[in-house]
Amino acid sequence: MSYYLSVGEAHRRITEYLNRFSDAVQSQDGRSLKSLLSVSSPHLVSLADALLIFQDWGRLIKNSQQLNDVLQHHLRALHSFRTGRFIDAYNAYERSANAFLLEFRNWESAWAMEAVYAIAYEIRVLAERADRELASLGKTPEKLKGAGSFLMKVFSALTGKGPKRVGALYVTCQLFKVYFKLGTVHLCRSVIRSIETARFFDFEEFPKRDQVTYMYYTGRLEVYNENFLVADQKLTYALKNCNPRSEANIRMILKYLIPVKLSVGILPATSLLQQYNLVEYINVVQALKSGDLRLLRHALQEHEDRFLRSGVYLVLEKLELQVYQRLLKKIYIIQKTKDPSKAHQIKLEVLVKALKWLEKDMDVDEVECIVAILIYKNLIKGYFAHKSKVVVLSKHDPFPKLSGKPVNS
Amino acid sequence: MLRYLVERLTIQDLAKKHLNSSSLVTLFCFSSRILRDQALGGETSVGKCISRTRCGALSSTSTAGAKAASWSLQWTNNASTENAVSSYSGYPYEQKMEVNVPTDVRDGINASSHASTTNLVAENGTQEYVGYASYPSSSTNPGYGNPEYQSYYYSHQQPSNPSSSQQVGASQNSGAPYQPLSSFQNTASYVGPTSYSGTYYNTGDYQTTTGYQSSVYSEQTNWNSGNYPHHQYSNYSSSDATHAPTSTVAATPPNYQPHYNQWADYYNQTSSNVMCAPGTENVSVSTVSTSGYPVAGITSGYSVSSNQPPPPGTTSWRQDPNASTSHSLQVSTAGYNHDGSWKNAPGFQHHHVGQTPSYTQKPLETAPHPYDNRPDHQQLMYSQRPNAQLPTMHEASQNHQTAPTLDARWVSKVQIPTNPRIASPLALGMPKTDKDSSTTADAVAKPAYISVTMPNSKGSSDGGANATNKQRMFPTSFRAYMERTLARCKDDSQREACQTMIKEMVTKASADGTLFTRDWDTEPLLPLPNTTGAVDKDNVDKSLTMSVFSKYKRSPSRRTKSRWEPIPDEKLVENASSAGPVKDAFWNRFKQTEKTVSSVRVEGKVNGWSNAKLVSYQQQFVPGKNAQRPDKKQRLSEDVERKEKGDASSDSDKEQALTAYYASAIALANSPEEKKKRESRSKRFDKGQESKAEIKYFRPKSVGGGNLYTRKSNALILAKSFEDSGSRAVEDMDWDSLTVKGTCQEIEKRYLRLTSAPDPCTVRPEDVLEKALKMIQSSQKNYLYKCDQLKSIRQDLTVQRIHNELTVKVYETHARMALEAGDLPEFNQCQSQLKSLYAEGIKGCHMEFSAYNLLAVILHSNNNRDFLSSMARLSPETKKGEAVQHALAVREAVTSGNYVLFFRLYKTAPNLNTCLMDLYVEKMRFEAVKCISRAYRPTVPVTFISEVLGFASDEKDVDGPEECEEWLRAHGATLITENNGELLLDAKVSSSGLFMPEPEDAVSHGDTSLAVNDFLTRTS
Repeated sequence: MSYYLSVGEAHRRITEYLNRFSDAVQSQDGRSLKSLLSVSSPHLVSLADALLIFQDWGRLIKNSQQLNDVLQHHLRALHSFRTGRFIDAYNAYERSANAFLLEFRNWESAWAMEAVYAIAYEIRVLAERADRELASLGKTPEKLKGAGSFLMKVFSALTGKGPKRVGALYVTCQLFKVYFKLGTVHLCRSVIRSIETARFFDFEEFPKRDQVTYMYYTGRLEVYNENFLVADQKLTYALKNCNPRSEANIRMILKYLIPVKLSVGILPATSLLQQYNLVEYINVVQALKSGDLRLLRHALQEHEDRFLRSGVYLVLEKLELQVYQRLLKKIYIIQKTKDPSKAHQIKLEVLVKALKWLEKDMDVDEVECIVAILIYKNLIKGYFAHKSKVVVLSKHDPFPKLSGKPVNS
Repeated sequence: MLRYLVERLTIQDLAKKHLNSSSLVTLFCFSSRILRDQALGGETSVGKCISRTRCGALSSTSTAGAKAASWSLQWTNNASTENAVSSYSGYPYEQKMEVNVPTDVRDGINASSHASTTNLVAENGTQEYVGYASYPSSSTNPGYGNPEYQSYYYSHQQPSNPSSSQQVGASQNSGAPYQPLSSFQNTASYVGPTSYSGTYYNTGDYQTTTGYQSSVYSEQTNWNSGNYPHHQYSNYSSSDATHAPTSTVAATPPNYQPHYNQWADYYNQTSSNVMCAPGTENVSVSTVSTSGYPVAGITSGYSVSSNQPPPPGTTSWRQDPNASTSHSLQVSTAGYNHDGSWKNAPGFQHHHVGQTPSYTQKPLETAPHPYDNRPDHQQLMYSQRPNAQLPTMHEASQNHQTAPTLDARWVSKVQIPTNPRIASPLALGMPKTDKDSSTTADAVAKPAYISVTMPNSKGSSDGGANATNKQRMFPTSFRAYMERTLARCKDDSQREACQTMIKEMVTKASADGTLFTRDWDTEPLLPLPNTTGAVDKDNVDKSLTMSVFSKYKRSPSRRTKSRWEPIPDEKLVENASSAGPVKDAFWNRFKQTEKTVSSVRVEGKVNGWSNAKLVSYQQQFVPGKNAQRPDKKQRLSEDVERKEKGDASSDSDKEQALTAYYASAIALANSPEEKKKRESRSKRFDKGQESKAEIKYFRPKSVGGGNLYTRKSNALILAKSFEDSGSRAVEDMDWDSLTVKGTCQEIEKRYLRLTSAPDPCTVRPEDVLEKALKMIQSSQKNYLYKCDQLKSIRQDLTVQRIHNELTVKVYETHARMALEAGDLPEFNQCQSQLKSLYAEGIKGCHMEFSAYNLLAVILHSNNNRDFLSSMARLSPETKKGEAVQHALAVREAVTSGNYVLFFRLYKTAPNLNTCLMDLYVEKMRFEAVKCISRAYRPTVPVTFISEVLGFASDEKDVDGPEECEEWLRAHGATLITENNGELLLDAKVSSSGLFMPEPEDAVSHGDTSLAVNDFLTRTS
């Protein structure tokens, strides 16, 4: 402890806190209640210190009011938190939160919504810390899971009709964070359904910030599912509505939006990538532009870990076909400059040679297969003549642009 | 009391932490158990009384009457001492308190809140109590006179009447599920005042929960809010019909009220029962002792509640008439569990469900019959203990035969019947124990007997309030000591003698105060008594007592058991099979008859023929759980009689209607398949055991594992009941000391899913398992055989918690075999085990299986996220491995649709990668042909396709193109022949005509390996 605190002072602080708490409840001041319930916020550090000094604080609460449980456990959580025992802090906080939720259900209006936000946030953060502590003790980290189920309770307290509904999206976002962290994204589905099927509450009525977060996470989910169109839509929404000053958030959105855009044939400006420090995509974009398979491969290898973790690896990998397309197109253009009449016939051996030059050692059969796939997926218009081993390109628009549509598969 | 609550609380919290959300059910069981324990604390003495009574009844009929009388006396005492209330009402009061607690517990509210809540409740209870007092019937009850008895029946009836309404009521229930569990509970606690009624429901919740899980749970909470109170009040306030108006509760079913009117007199009694009921459920045996009443009451109350539920939209209940029935049954079941069956709760409930129908219907006929039946009841008591669990009534029939002699006596004494009921719960406990043991471990059975502690409690029970803690007060070391002693016994008689001795010791020790101070660990074991089979009354007595006690003792084990909790289906079967032996044992004891497993079959038969009729009869019984048992049996026997006479008609039309209702539920229990299963199950026990069945089941387990349960339970009890150890977390338990050490030397063993704790003598130790693995590896038999053997090896490994290279080897072997046989589900099981084993750092073919894992994810689960995470988890070294490289290449080929690459990789696949790829070949080929026919013009030679798509192993392969041609044609491709005789694929035409043919071996349920014919050919 950095300074000495007298017992009297500690006592004073605690009683003051208790008074402020009951004032906040009585005057239905959600905002100040919020600050009183945030365990990890710096506001309460001095109170936590006081709790360390004045151990008998439980006695002080006794004669306050019906939110006894909330306070009791909350102070305990604060106490544990201050002493670095996060598991205990989490447990106590969860109880406090449960008790609070109980009260909250009884309140008709949504005045305490801010406090609920604080609790939803705090419980998640505390759970993460507690899990870290558990893991360091060699035990199974399970608190985050517990926080997830608590948040589900909160969620269900918020979803009915009524003024509380407005908070549902915030809790949903906290749930997303928990589920993504736990790797149990399939659990998101039920929450999403209940958000998206609600008819009596328009999505636009939720707070903007929650909308953005929500769209970001659901967009990510769609990336996993390779629903590029929907993902594009959601992430674009998130990007448009995101506070332009919160660059970190914009970057997070772009991290997913860029691969999605790439896969529907839209390339970002290099300056954008640099501005948001998304340099890992620069080479990928370059490869797409130049039809350089080698570059793409290297870019993927270089950042493999990152791409795997963020979950865009497979998306980027699929860009390979577009790179092939670009390569063929380049060959086609070159041929056209030489002999426009025969330009629409590309001999397979030319392609094989080009690939060899790009350090992609493939035999004729394989290249043939690639060409077949390109045609099959509509990246090339034309056909392949097996006998003569020639790709015959359509005379009209042989390399159709994706222009916002994903490669059909 | 409070302290206990607090303790419970902690435990519960711990449990909460421990059990993950998926094991909600277990948690509930757990909580209910806690309740029981608490109740126990308060009511031990009653339990004693009960046991005593029961013993008396059992041992000699003549004395039974007298005993019963004494029992009732004691009972009264208890009530008065503990609650300081009049005997009857006192119980309810207590119980309520307890009930409340659970609610709180779940909420995770701290002890203080509990306390307050409890108080509130208590007050309520008192008030109500007053109300009770006013009723003449309740006050007169003390002796459990006839009126009460009748009330039983009536309570039974109640359910029957409402039955139709019940489903209606169901709607309310359904409403609840939507809400979160926690919220409900919380509400309950806060509501405090209302909570009284709530309490009841909560109780119900618990039980229900066990069966139905959380949703049900929440539903009940709903009731709390108001319905129940109404109900109760109506009952109480108006014995007359008028109460109908009073009860504003919308739900109050019309049926119900009429009922009340009719039985106004009885009703009072019934209501009193109800009061008891809540407690009973949660409460332990003692409550039970409170008598069948409580149970009955509970049930009735319960059913009522279900009827009332107003809320709309509850689909679950409604949809399923059976379900609703079962629900109520379960409630009652829960009661049972509390009473006796700690361990098996889950199974038990299930069982009930099956039976449900039987309970439901019982009509009013009861009133006339009651006296006649009593004899049966008692009989039932005896015999049923073992069978009690069994859905089947066969015992009833048996009892029936014997009953006549006893009849006269019983008729005169109304009280006696009560006893049987009381006893029945006990009996229940017994069977469960046995059940557990029967499958695998005889050991399990033992503990029940071992728990000598009972006698002590008995002695002290009279003491009154303090009796509560008695049971728990035994030091663990002492219990261990007892176990040791008893474990040495070679047969029943010895054990019994031992028990007597121990009992004496305990009495002595506690008298001179050394019980806790003495070092039991070093205490010399008692000399083995030389008793021979003479089972004197005394012994029986004791054993009974013990059994009662054993419940307590074992209760903890129930929680621990969750791991082994059988799936419901199995449980049913299990019950049936186990019942046989158990019952035998009992039979021997009490009747000294030599009934063998065959009894099980008798059961089956009885069920079979009596199905329809019985249903009607039985259904009425829904209300009283405890009472039900005996009653039901009785009914059954009656039914049987009637049937034989050809007088199958049910008492009322209503019943018949109900019959249809519940018929399906019964069918479950009695269906031919079920019977078959039971029979086959029981056959297992026949094997080589028939002759010594009785001995076997009662013989102590001499092996280390034998005491498993007791040890566990000790540990748990210790953890929860001793103040100082209160902080001891369940997770800190020393599992090592509880692990089974196998002794079986047989190399071959069939796989059988465990439904109870493993028996060390059927578990093979590591060295034997190693031999077994070698045997399987060199075996020429088919995959099914090997799979079976490997699974049993895996089971033995798991049970003994062996995690080493052998484990890895076994799983690897099995995974490979599964791959070769294309058994993907089994492979996945092994794979996931291997993952965690490798993660523990145990050496094995890590690379190989990483590759398999990748392939499996890529090719079969088709889940990008899964793949990403498993790929991200690969270490750089792993990635360089040949197999993994191959798998990654395959993945690439698949995602890009590069069929050429895929089939090249297919040909060069290391290890069993081919096998996994095999499963994807068809799909890949089809995609490829689609692609080819779309991209190529005008034609493609079939030889080329056959080569590219892996039909031909090399270019000279003649079969390849032929096979390819066949395949292409089967998939709708158009082939043309060139002038030079070369077969070509007409790409343009084919591109529109391709299709995936229906697999020829498709079966309706989607899994060819389950096809009966296939199965038979493979096994033969």
